Order: sequence, then structure tokens, then C-alpha cells
Amino acid sequence: MGKRSVLPKQLKTPYFTGITAKYKLQIAILAIFLMLWLIFFAINPSGFSNPYTYTAMFSVAPFTIIPALSLTYVIILGEIDLSFPSVMALGALVLTLTWKTFGPTPLGLLLALSAGLLAGLLNGILITKFQIPSLIATIGTMFLWRGFILVVTQGYGIPLGEYRGLPIYEMLVGRIGIIPVQIIWTVIIALVLWVILNFHKFGAYVYYTGDNRIAAKMLGINTDKVIISVYMIHGAIAAFAGVLATLEMATFWPALGEIYLMKSIASVIVGGTPVTGGIGTIFGTFIGGLILELIETGILAVGVTGFWIRLVHGLVIIIALIAQVLIRRSEMRRMRVVE
Amino acid sequence: MPEEKYIVETVNLVKRFGDVVALKGVNFKVRVNEIVGLVGDNGAGKSTLVKILAGVYAPTEGEIIIKGQRFKRLTPRKAYELGIVLVHQERTLSENHTIWRNIFMGRELTGPLGFLKISEMRERAQKLLKEIGLKAIPPDFPVKYLSGGYKQGVQITRALCFEADLVILDEPTIQLSLAEVQRVLEYVRELKKRGKSSIFISHNIYHVYPVADKFVILDRGRIVGEFLKKDLTPDDLSHIMISIARTGRVPPEYREINLISS
Repeated sequence: MGKRSVLPKQLKTPYFTGITAKYKLQIAILAIFLMLWLIFFAINPSGFSNPYTYTAMFSVAPFTIIPALSLTYVIILGEIDLSFPSVMALGALVLTLTWKTFGPTPLGLLLALSAGLLAGLLNGILITKFQIPSLIATIGTMFLWRGFILVVTQGYGIPLGEYRGLPIYEMLVGRIGIIPVQIIWTVIIALVLWVILNFHKFGAYVYYTGDNRIAAKMLGINTDKVIISVYMIHGAIAAFAGVLATLEMATFWPALGEIYLMKSIASVIVGGTPVTGGIGTIFGTFIGGLILELIETGILAVGVTGFWIRLVHGLVIIIALIAQVLIRRSEMRRMRVVE
Repeated sequence: MPEEKYIVETVNLVKRFGDVVALKGVNFKVRVNEIVGLVGDNGAGKSTLVKILAGVYAPTEGEIIIKGQRFKRLTPRKAYELGIVLVHQERTLSENHTIWRNIFMGRELTGPLGFLKISEMRERAQKLLKEIGLKAIPPDFPVKYLSGGYKQGVQITRALCFEADLVILDEPTIQLSLAEVQRVLEYVRELKKRGKSSIFISHNIYHVYPVADKFVILDRGRIVGEFLKKDLTPDDLSHIMISIARTGRVPPEYREINLISS
């Protein structure tokens, strides 16, 4: 026995000793972010040394990044959710109507989060109990909630400007100095989701359910419960992001959320979470989201038209994906243990 | 050890999939610290039988007795709790994750509020890997980079870690190189040394023969033969299997040593 289990030579490489090697992918994503920042800084040094540029960026970035963070869990499960923009609007509508009826209290936020939880529950049940593929199920709920919102509002926006300055308003989207509070919420949510994913049993089950559902089931993990819980968490977080976006704009718009669909999904993908599931990181998504936001801010700051934004987004997504494939390939070649 | 001490026993187990009857009243027994080689052609019902024992399928009729407790059906979790672990060809591994995570998969050691005791799990994994002869592999190594034999080793280490009493090895040597097959057979011997019972399913009787104490032959949903290793050579077993495949019966010259009276 002893002879046969001699350390394969690949294992003698310091691969697992260096933190840089272990987090290669995350470092690559961070490098892309820093490189882009340097490029924009070089083109427009005054714009990018002005703190208000970052205030502007961080006041809107959360609406893409927050739903992307919980979407990372969904994608790690090997599933998808197209309904979260509608759930963002649903949460925002529930808050708006509650505030208009009962005044601006935490009740509105509580009901908004509950609406998100219920919307997530519906997605989870459709996917697990009825075994409808998540792509199809969430197209259904995407239309369902958006339709519900349009019927209720008749397509009209609802102004919320009168609540500006109230403590609850400031607590959600106020400013601490020049720092938008919503970016602090984003960091808090990212930290909580990161801790759960890496250090909690639930996070481990999310990974296993996405990586090998049959194995997870065989080993006694209730994968349906995991999937439903993830969709519920994602629903509540999307609703929260919707509330923040609405309060930042001080108006509820029935079309709220639609622009975040592709951006949030792209944040997850750029961040190194493959759609095949089983792996992925919250850190990657956070930086992925920042990359997309930086491109928007940067392109406007360097003075070219906003039409360039999509083009550069596309380019960066493709570059990031190629980089990920290359990193994974080289890892595969390096690590394979052979007899 | 008293002879009647069985770790698992099935009573008239029947399993139907629609019109197809996969098991037709199977009475299958495994003694404590026994390695049973479960052999038979494709479609004989081997996998169906072990999947019922592992709680993956519910039997249509019959009973399962585990350590004296009677069950109409099991769930994977229940089987797991009763100490039955299924080792599948790569199928019960989360390939993208580390060895230690795989060893504790589904039975993580947790502290307050469900947080993982990572360092404790890593240490225990390292100790167990060392015990089974995989000491050279760091527990932080992702399973996907391991070869087939090492992967089986990880699954068997998991069984040891959970103090499994019965380890079911479903085709553990399929697609493995010769050296790797030997490695897996070593793991199985190690399980026996530790007092565990195993069911070893294989198409290849030359893989199962060296480690098994007893051979049970399934044919089209029925147990047609049960032989002790001391009564047979591998060639005998091969001869019996071929004959069963052709005629559905154990050849007359082996009927005396067949523990199943036909």
C-alpha cells in the first residue's frame, strides 16, 4: 500500500501552499478590474481622481451587484433566474403601496422582503416539485409579476420624493459623507453571503447540489429544500435591491429592474461562476459587477457616447471568459493525478 | 461471532418498474464482517437490489432488515444513518470540491448555528486518508484531479469516517487500470480488517474473487446461486456464470455446493 501511495509528482508543486495560486481566478478578475481602472484613469485623470465620480458609481452599482450576489447562489446550483428584475419591482411596489397607505415605516420594508421571499418560494416550487426547468419557470414568473405590477399601477409611476430625508429613507439610500449608504448594504450582503457560502453547512449544500445533485441526494442532502431556500433568499435580496433602486430614484417605475437582468447575470459570469454550476464565488461576482459599472462610469467620463458601453461590456465579458477558460485548462493540465 | 448475525437481510424483495419486474422475491443476506461478491449479467437486478438497500429505490413488496430493525422502505438519509454507504463509480463525489469536503459531505461537523468546523474536518480527513494509505494526498486537493482509484479511495475513506457498517461498492473497479484495481481491492480488504461488511458488485469476477468471502449470483431478478469462496476457483465461478447466462441454471456439478437449493 505504502509504495503505491507515493506522492504523485504534481502534488509536490507548491500549488496549494501559495495563496496566489489558490485564488488565481479571483486575482485575474481583480486584475481586469484594476487594468480597466488604470486605462480610464490614464485617459481622464481628473475625472477618476474626483471622489464624486465614485459616489456616482457606488450610488447605482448596488442595483446590479446586490441581485447578482444572490444570483451567484442560483447559478452555483446550476440553475438560472430571469424573474428577479420583476421581483425587484414587486418588492419596490409593495413598499411603495405600504408607505402610501400606512406611512413610511419599516413595515413596508418587511412586506417588500416577504413578497420577495414568496416570489422565490414560487420559483423554487415550480423548479423542484413540478420539475420545470428554471429557465422556463422563471420566464413564467418574470411575466407574471411584471404583469401584476402593470395591472396594479396601470403603467404609471408613483413618486416617493416626500419621504426623502426621513431616517428610514436615509438608512437605506442616504449618504454618509460622500459614501452612498446602498454600497455599504451591498458590502454587508456580500459579506454575509460569502460567509454562508464558505463557512456554513448551507453554503456547502449549495455547492454540492450544483456540483452533483444525485450524489448530494444519495448522501442525504435535501436538495429540493436547498434549491427552494436559495430562490427564497434570492427573491428577498432582489426585492431589497428593488427597494433601494426605487428610493434612490425617489419614484416607483413599473419597468424597474429590466435593465439589471443582463448586467447582473453578466456580473456573475465575469466574476468566474460558470453556468454549469458547482463552483463560483461571491468575491468574483462583486468584482464582476464593479467591472461592468466601472466601464459605464469610465466611458461616460472619458467623453465618448454611451453607445460604447454595450460594446465594451461585450468585449470585457468575452475577454474575462477566455481568461477563465485558459486558467482552468492550465490548472487541469498541471493538477491531473495519473498513475 | 454467531452465524445468524446479519448486518442486512432482505425478505422476499420485489421491485417493479412499470411492467418490468427487476427483482422477483429476493432473500439476500450479508453477515457481519463479510464481503459478499454480488455478480450477474446486465439487467440481473444487482444495482436495483443495492439501491433499495441504500434507500434510493423503494421496494414494491418485501422487507429490509437492518441490524434487527424491519423496514418497508428506506430513504438515502435513513440508510446513511443506519450505517449503509454506497460507493459508486465517481457518482457520489462532488468533483469540484476538496477531498475533506467530500469525505464529510452530508455529515459535516458543525458548531453553533451550523457553521462548519473546517480545521477539525481537515485534520480528521488527513488522519483517515493516512490510515487507508492515501497519506500522500493533501485533504485540500480537489477530487476532480484524482484518478479513478484515488476517487474510490476517497469514497471508502468517507465510509470509514462515518463508521459505516456496510459499504456497498457498485462496480468500483470499472474503467480502472490494473494498478488502480489493486489499490481499490486493498481498500476493500482494509474495510474488512476494521470489521466492516461489504457488498462488492462487479462484472469482472477476477476483480471480486480475491476479496469476497461469498458470491451471490443474481439472474433476471432472482438469486440463483450462492457459493462460499472456499468451494470455488475463479474459473469455476466463471463457468457457473456463463452457464447461467446460457441456460438460466447452475450447472449440475455445482449444485451440491450451491447454498440456494433450486
